[in-house]
Amino acid sequence: MSTEAPELDFTPIRSREESQKISRPSLSYWQDAWLRLKANRRALVSLYIVISLLLFTLVGPLLWRSDPAFQDLDQISLSPGSDRQAVIVADYVPWDGAGGEQGSGLRVVDVATTQAVKLKWDPLPGALGHRIYRNRVPIGPELALGIPLADYVDAGTLTHEDRLDLHPRDYYYSVVALDERGTPQRGSFQSITVRVQRVITAQDAQAQGLIPAGEEVQLDDTVRLAAHPLGTDYLGRDMLARLMAGARVSLFIGIGAPTIFVLFGVAFGSIAGFIGGRVDQLMMRFADFVVALPFLLFMILFKVAFGIGPGESGVLPMLIALVVLMWPATARLVRGQIVQIRQQGYIEASQLLGASRPYLIMRHMLPNTLGVVLVTLTFEIPRAIFTEAFLSFIGMGVAPPTPSWGSMSNEGIKNMLTTPHELILPAILISITVLAFNLLGDGLRDALDARLRNTE
Amino acid sequence: MTDEHVIIDSESDFARSAGKQLAAYMAYAMLAMFLLFFLLSELAAMVGGSSGRGAIDGQSNAITIAIRQEPPQLDHTRASDSVSFTVLTHAMEGLLGYDNDNRLVPGVAERWEIRADGATFWLREEARWSDGRPVTAHDFVFGWRKVVDPATASIYAFIMYPVENAEAINSGELPVETLGVRAVGDRVLEVSFEQPTPYFEKLVAFQTFLPVNEEFYEATQGRYGADADQMLYNGPYVVSEWIHSASMLWEKNPLYWNKDNVGFINVIDVAYITEDVNAKLNMFKDGQIGDTQLVASMLPSAMEQRWNIERFMEGSIFWVVSNFRDGRITRNYNLRRALQLSLDPVEFVYKVLKEPGYMPGTSMFPYWIKGAEGSFRQEHPPIEHIPDVEKAREHLELARQELGIDEFPPLVLLADDTPVGSITAEYLQASFARHLGLEIRIDKQIFKQRLLKAEAGEFDILVNGWSPDYDDALTFGDYFASWNLSNRGRYSNAELDRNVRIGQTSLDSAERMRAFAEIQRIAYEDAVVMPLYERGWSFVVDPRLKDFNRRVVGPEVDYRFAYIDVNDE
Repeated sequence: MSTEAPELDFTPIRSREESQKISRPSLSYWQDAWLRLKANRRALVSLYIVISLLLFTLVGPLLWRSDPAFQDLDQISLSPGSDRQAVIVADYVPWDGAGGEQGSGLRVVDVATTQAVKLKWDPLPGALGHRIYRNRVPIGPELALGIPLADYVDAGTLTHEDRLDLHPRDYYYSVVALDERGTPQRGSFQSITVRVQRVITAQDAQAQGLIPAGEEVQLDDTVRLAAHPLGTDYLGRDMLARLMAGARVSLFIGIGAPTIFVLFGVAFGSIAGFIGGRVDQLMMRFADFVVALPFLLFMILFKVAFGIGPGESGVLPMLIALVVLMWPATARLVRGQIVQIRQQGYIEASQLLGASRPYLIMRHMLPNTLGVVLVTLTFEIPRAIFTEAFLSFIGMGVAPPTPSWGSMSNEGIKNMLTTPHELILPAILISITVLAFNLLGDGLRDALDARLRNTE
Repeated sequence: MTDEHVIIDSESDFARSAGKQLAAYMAYAMLAMFLLFFLLSELAAMVGGSSGRGAIDGQSNAITIAIRQEPPQLDHTRASDSVSFTVLTHAMEGLLGYDNDNRLVPGVAERWEIRADGATFWLREEARWSDGRPVTAHDFVFGWRKVVDPATASIYAFIMYPVENAEAINSGELPVETLGVRAVGDRVLEVSFEQPTPYFEKLVAFQTFLPVNEEFYEATQGRYGADADQMLYNGPYVVSEWIHSASMLWEKNPLYWNKDNVGFINVIDVAYITEDVNAKLNMFKDGQIGDTQLVASMLPSAMEQRWNIERFMEGSIFWVVSNFRDGRITRNYNLRRALQLSLDPVEFVYKVLKEPGYMPGTSMFPYWIKGAEGSFRQEHPPIEHIPDVEKAREHLELARQELGIDEFPPLVLLADDTPVGSITAEYLQASFARHLGLEIRIDKQIFKQRLLKAEAGEFDILVNGWSPDYDDALTFGDYFASWNLSNRGRYSNAELDRNVRIGQTSLDSAERMRAFAEIQRIAYEDAVVMPLYERGWSFVVDPRLKDFNRRVVGPEVDYRFAYIDVNDE
């Protein structure tokens, strides 16, 4: 029977300071969101793409100082990375048909250049006239001679000067006899293969600054034509410069419009949600009414109402139409959030503790909707970019010569088969931009969602 | 412990079975989708592919073709578009017509006589309407009166103005019965002229001068030409079926008097009505249509396909005209001259448009216009246009001083909303900006709207084209006459007007051509018009289809003399 205190089976552990210490740094909402965004590789890459797009648009034109409206008619529809060596020649003078006396049959007089190919031939037997053809492929057994360039219905004309869209490559010219009805007699023809040399006139070379100032221009010198890293379009305009200029329009609309209408939507939605009751009902029915308005019709009406005349840019009415018609989605979302938050316990607690209305809104409500708003914004941006591209594509947007990605696609689609880069480049940029903003929005939604905060 | 295992197992079982179910659903959904696609494509084939026969059917002597647009209606008294004229050429015949070599040949009239004060046409006895009634002189009288009747509001009424009182009737000053045309019996048509009209025989070959059977016309109660059966035909073909916006069927007219020499193909199936050149190219590749047009971007692949590419000059000319209405700065000669001198049509056509069919514009009269003996342009060569930017800038400076302005206001350029129209507008915009520093605002409009704005004069400079109505220099020569409503810029010059009058009334063809040469000179020297190009097409035809033609004057496409040669694959 011992009254002594027994040996303790358990001894209280000595309290350790360390366990009470917070081992990891305390993270604010935003720091946590950033950490989780960083872990999401897709979103991070998208973020970098968005940043580089902004650089492309804002810094690009400072580095690549080419006028997007300048038409380099010597290099039309040039694909990226084409050779651009050219020989300097004298100014063009129409050919009087002289020279080339020696030789027989179809022959080339002087050097065949991209300026002109001078052809001369002897009359074909029994011909009452001649037709000149040009082909890009060697003439095969089908006797398909290519494109007919010209008909000479008098048998006396035995020269032709071809200036139509010449490129430095091989051409296969043919001359065919015409009968009295002007029908070509494919049975009797002569052909010749011609290699065409790229040239530029001294005057053009100087005007385009291809020759350093103060240097003598020598004929037959070689110069490199103006560089077009991404090629040119159907009017010889630099694609890179146009893409950058187009990005300005696309991103201005794409970022400007959503920023404005999301802000408006937030204000509208939070007022409706916070006041509630009849006001809420009225405001939200008005939002429903706006949703029902047809976008395209309003776009046209705005253009008329603004007195946007022919040839004036439709960017401002487009911005306003977007703002006026696209805010209700954000307003609904924010209103829903506010209504939900209003009934949360901590709001009541805060109210009981005597918080004022502005405090409640600023401290509890808005910060809790901010994630949703930010996500909406990143999803609305690609939508607006796409709308702009669509409107410009159908000709409702910018006025020429101002480019936008949409209008560039519209122009490019006409030459899709021969020069696909005119369509592909702007189309790729639209796709990448829209995808990047969408993935970024996706990542932001995951990162900012408070409920996902503790699940990982 | 075991319980836990069970739970986990059942959970993974659940997941597995759910996955299986999902996969099954997916498979069903895919299967359903395939079936649906199959069903839809079958349905589409049943609805869309009206014939299913190839482009050229040698056995039943039939061809399948596509036309550009749906004709608004086939009532020639109101028709004004080239597609309607194409259909009418195949289905109707006027007093005179053109053969396959573009020579004027007798139609319903077997012989005729043109005098200074009028003309007489003797009609052939065997000409028949498609219901068997004979085509009489009364049908022409009725048809012509309909055209000038103000109630018809025909756009082409002006073409009848050489006929006595036509203009007064059209403006409502005289009753239609006073028109200078009457039937002497059933087979003689007497025409009296307002003024001598030496080119009248060319004029009556135009579709507006076609006959209409009065009895039938009244029976249709205002729906004449609105449907295939609401019309009587007297040409080599009858329109036997017309499904609006979808297809037409032209069949050989058994009652046509000249059926042995015109209309060799029994059935022309107009299976497609589409403006889309790419779609037509694909149909041609698939052997669904007999011919199609090629645009510049299609040529490289056409050459690689080793097709026989044909070319054809369409006859029209496209130009830039200035607005001479009050308050427009383009009234200033020096400004117009500056624009003219800075413009290089050769560069534009060869480097920018790149269409092999197009010819750089050099005159307001196209190359094919006939002169007194041979070609008009060879007899009266136009002034050679040499672009000169330096001189252009001098004129611009003069214009600035004359107008008393520091900065030129932006000029509004009205153009068509077609691919070529857009390129033209953008080229001109950049060209005027680069050479002259002028700001150009492009007003691109669809064709109808462009026409309305051009009529209203809402432009500073306008790009438009003019197609010939008849085979005479006057069809271009009277364009800038001060009274011509087609003269969109309202140019007015007494000297030019005087020459137009000579061209209209003189019986001496050399004198007429001198007058047109004067018009050509004034138009250039006063910088009234800047010709850009004469339009032409490149096209391909199925090698089995022979003698298919395209015409400068008349229909765009002419199958009346075409035949099938199956041996030529």
